[in-house]
Amino acid sequence: MRNRIGVYICYCGSNISDYVDCEKVKDIAAETTDVILSKTTMFACSDSAQNEMIEDIKNQKLDAIVVASCSPKLHLNTFRNVAQRAGLNQYNYVQVNIREQCSWAHSNTPPQATEKAIKLVKAGIARAKQSQELTPMAIPSTNSVLVVGAGVAGMRAAIELAKMGTEVFIIEREYFVGGRAAQWNELFTTNETGREVVSRLYNTIMEANNITLFTGADIDSKTGSVGNFDVKLRIRPRHVKPDCKLDWGKFKKAVEVCPVEFDDPFNFGLTKQKAIYKNFPSEFPEIPTIDVEHCTKCGKCVDICDKIDLDQKEEMLNINVGAVLLTTGSSPYEPKTGEFGYKEIENVVTLQQLKRLIELNEYDLIFKGKKIKNIAYVYCVGSRQVDGENKYCSRYCCTSAIHTAIMVKEKYKTINNFHFTRGIRTYGKQEALYHKASKQGDIFLQSFEDSPTEVYKENGHTVVKIKDILTADKELEVNTDLVVLVTGMIPRKNDSINNILKVPIGRDKFYNEIHPKLRPVETVIDGVLIAGACQAPLNITESVKSSLSAAVKVNSLISKGKIELEPTLAQIDKLLCNWCDKCADVCPYSAIVKEVKNGKMFAVVHEANCKGCGMCLPVCPSNAIQLIGYTDIEIESMIEALID
Amino acid sequence: MVESKEYDVLVIGGGIAGEEAALNLANIGYKVILVEKDLSIGGKMIHLSKVFPTLDCGACITTPKVSETARHPNIEIFTFSEVQDIEKHAENDFSATLIENPRYVTDDCTGCQICEEKCPVVVEDQYQWNLVGRKAVYVPFSIANPRIAVIDIENCSLCGLCEKVCPANAIDFSQVEKKSTIKIRSIIIATGFELFDPLLIPRYGYGKFKNVVTSMQMERQLVPTRPFNNVLRPMDGKMPDNIAYVLCAGSRDETVGNPICSQVCCMYSVKQAQLLMGALPMADVTIYYINIRAFGKGFCEFFQQAKGMGIEFIKGKAGLIKEKENGNLIILYEDIQQGNVKEAEHDLVVLSVGMLPNTDFTEIFKNSRVEQDLYNYVNKVDELCCPAKTNIDGVFVAGTSTGPLDIPDSILSAGAASAEAAGYLNGGVK
Repeated sequence: MRNRIGVYICYCGSNISDYVDCEKVKDIAAETTDVILSKTTMFACSDSAQNEMIEDIKNQKLDAIVVASCSPKLHLNTFRNVAQRAGLNQYNYVQVNIREQCSWAHSNTPPQATEKAIKLVKAGIARAKQSQELTPMAIPSTNSVLVVGAGVAGMRAAIELAKMGTEVFIIEREYFVGGRAAQWNELFTTNETGREVVSRLYNTIMEANNITLFTGADIDSKTGSVGNFDVKLRIRPRHVKPDCKLDWGKFKKAVEVCPVEFDDPFNFGLTKQKAIYKNFPSEFPEIPTIDVEHCTKCGKCVDICDKIDLDQKEEMLNINVGAVLLTTGSSPYEPKTGEFGYKEIENVVTLQQLKRLIELNEYDLIFKGKKIKNIAYVYCVGSRQVDGENKYCSRYCCTSAIHTAIMVKEKYKTINNFHFTRGIRTYGKQEALYHKASKQGDIFLQSFEDSPTEVYKENGHTVVKIKDILTADKELEVNTDLVVLVTGMIPRKNDSINNILKVPIGRDKFYNEIHPKLRPVETVIDGVLIAGACQAPLNITESVKSSLSAAVKVNSLISKGKIELEPTLAQIDKLLCNWCDKCADVCPYSAIVKEVKNGKMFAVVHEANCKGCGMCLPVCPSNAIQLIGYTDIEIESMIEALID
Repeated sequence: MVESKEYDVLVIGGGIAGEEAALNLANIGYKVILVEKDLSIGGKMIHLSKVFPTLDCGACITTPKVSETARHPNIEIFTFSEVQDIEKHAENDFSATLIENPRYVTDDCTGCQICEEKCPVVVEDQYQWNLVGRKAVYVPFSIANPRIAVIDIENCSLCGLCEKVCPANAIDFSQVEKKSTIKIRSIIIATGFELFDPLLIPRYGYGKFKNVVTSMQMERQLVPTRPFNNVLRPMDGKMPDNIAYVLCAGSRDETVGNPICSQVCCMYSVKQAQLLMGALPMADVTIYYINIRAFGKGFCEFFQQAKGMGIEFIKGKAGLIKEKENGNLIILYEDIQQGNVKEAEHDLVVLSVGMLPNTDFTEIFKNSRVEQDLYNYVNKVDELCCPAKTNIDGVFVAGTSTGPLDIPDSILSAGAASAEAAGYLNGGVK
């Protein structure tokens, strides 16, 4: 039992004190038995307040402290650290959340917020009294990482991790690397092409000794925890032998004889492709592949090239890594049929299709046999939806559309660009592009939130109509040859990864970080990090910044040979346990196993796997399990204090 | 001759980006020296109230980082200090001169502020953006780190009262500037940004009309460590009830030499407007904008929330501000939606000032030059693949030294700089 307890009630500037009477909470805490001192503080987390606590702990010989402030998600570690620096065991510190749970939740009823805060603080004191000295567990970690997704973000993180001395496995679901960037031509701001960027990164990866790349690869399963994940990879066959030195002549012939033809996803369905393919000459790895979904195994290509092997089998590979970094990227939003005429009106395309069209058309911009003169860009398709699900702004599309419009004008000269916007968001230096487009004569219009732009067919013409804010509410119609839907970003479909790794997903369906400012690339799953456009819409530079941030976090997490874990584990009383296997059955981490000693069967907890979730506790019929740090005695004393 | 101290990385600037970069590198095990020109680390962020789009208080996010940086065994901090004459001798081999300015107060200071009570000199408090006064001897602000006093020697009357009352005997008028040489292997520039000076737009009347304030002055009135206990307008201390925000004050404006968008003003104005609805429930808040740039994760939803709270958004740039006798202000603006020029009266006008580059980094290198981009920020020579790389190998850039960025983006930019620096220090791809 602890009996020299210090209590600190934080104002959080005014976040708490505006609604909770902190002085009253402090006074009542002071009257509680075994509380030696009770204080209020403006910012408990500030350096000066921390130092004051350390002095108090030392001078008053405190044996436990309670800080009533914000959520432990924010500052549990801050104050544990204070305890430690003062020579106190960090688990003799208890945090009480009177900000999120009192002042913010009950801002309309301050007296009740105060009352609740008093109860919670009393419960916190009760828990502190029962708190034990605990030692964190140290588990060994391997200095290797699995990067999932070999787009620009993934490849860039892989390279920097390798430079820092971490061994990297990088897997790509597709058969070629580069992700979305490989599909784009010139990029803002450097005018490098997406392909140049990708080939630069690919070549560096090939030079590095400590990066292993697998294409056509997925995660099959995962066990273990941070520091020690055992991951099983499924590597699908490429059907072309790896020692194939690509002979373009032969390859072209093989493509010619292939009888299968289907819509080419690389060109967003603008062209057809064969079952044996490689999208462009400098695509990496420089080995063609066969699309097994469409291939009929007729064998005609095998007759031309002996490096093709239609009997290749899927391979499974086990790797051991300390952390997993997800850089699975994004997809363009696919408009619904009829959304701004998509798939119903013949000359409605997406921005991504236009980008491919520009690359496929050298001199004039031709679409479906017709030379294009007027292009209408309809913005925010799939973003900022008033009625639809996607409430968010996709961030990159304004700049991307304007950049494309400038390329169109520079390449084809006579084309007129009409932009049907909802307010241009070329933030930062991207503003310069907006300015350039305006100067080159592009027309910008802006619709009202409640009356969206319309696309329809009239007398054989495709018409785009807008109620335009910029000309004071005038209704304007433009006859166009091509309507370009500026589609937003959605996360790539990753159902199997989501099932295996269980990374939290936000309302916008992107992966969720712990906190956008404090821990922007970490997830609540220890050892699983996220970066790039799988997290939120981002452009290439922003994706790379986030992936490099993740790289440095991964390295500092796993490069020291060991990781400290919370000692909050399930503990089984062997004498009470009669092995009924109910606990093993409910454990989501397979951490409980049976052991037999002297004829008695009982359950044992595998410490590295146990996450301290507590699932096993309520199912035990003989009450043989305690969760360290949350023992029955601690919880019961808290309940008593709450109902007192 | 004194031997020069050696470190792995020099981080210039102790704002949120500099701290993040320093912590990342220190956590891997590199020795970091962090040099901050100002009296405290924490940069601009430590002075902010709640921050968008999560509305958690700026201090709650930044003070733990400040304190983690301050006590990290691998980080040595020099506040009120500068670096000069940086020279590159070879890869992984730089030298620099470290200049520590005299505070005239020793480290024995406990921050008790008794000296402040006695000091007879009152000048404008730069940490409250001149809204109130401070003394010539002062602790910069309540959550400063280090929390020790300094003597503003230019304004000090040398009366010596502080010296007499200091219980720790920490006042030392004999301090002088200290110069030393340091050796480092890599450098991160994180010198941050400057705020646009609205005096450059005379037609908005800043400096002439008392009730025209900057967004930073409004921000200070909304923080827990605010100078007054409520939001007051400067002329008469009245609580305003009809507040206007003028966006793009000094941004997207070629006439003041800053054609680019500052990327944060829309969102911080929307945020302040939301906070004002809480602080002054009866007040009307109007935001005059060109485009609302709510582009980041959760921003658009935050903007929609503001509209739902009843904040009025008018699409139109303010052209001219006039003052009435009672101190109220008339804004002349083009109401784009209706296509005419209109007037509106407000009792407080907030100019949402933009970001400008802090160009200090151009003067600190001896035989080389850090290249600037078109807008005078640090030029990124390989923006797509190595967003922190400058024209000098081994010198990286983080945060708003690269261009206008919000807090989450600054933190990611700092992450990138620390990763690239770590890769450089470890010798590249093997």
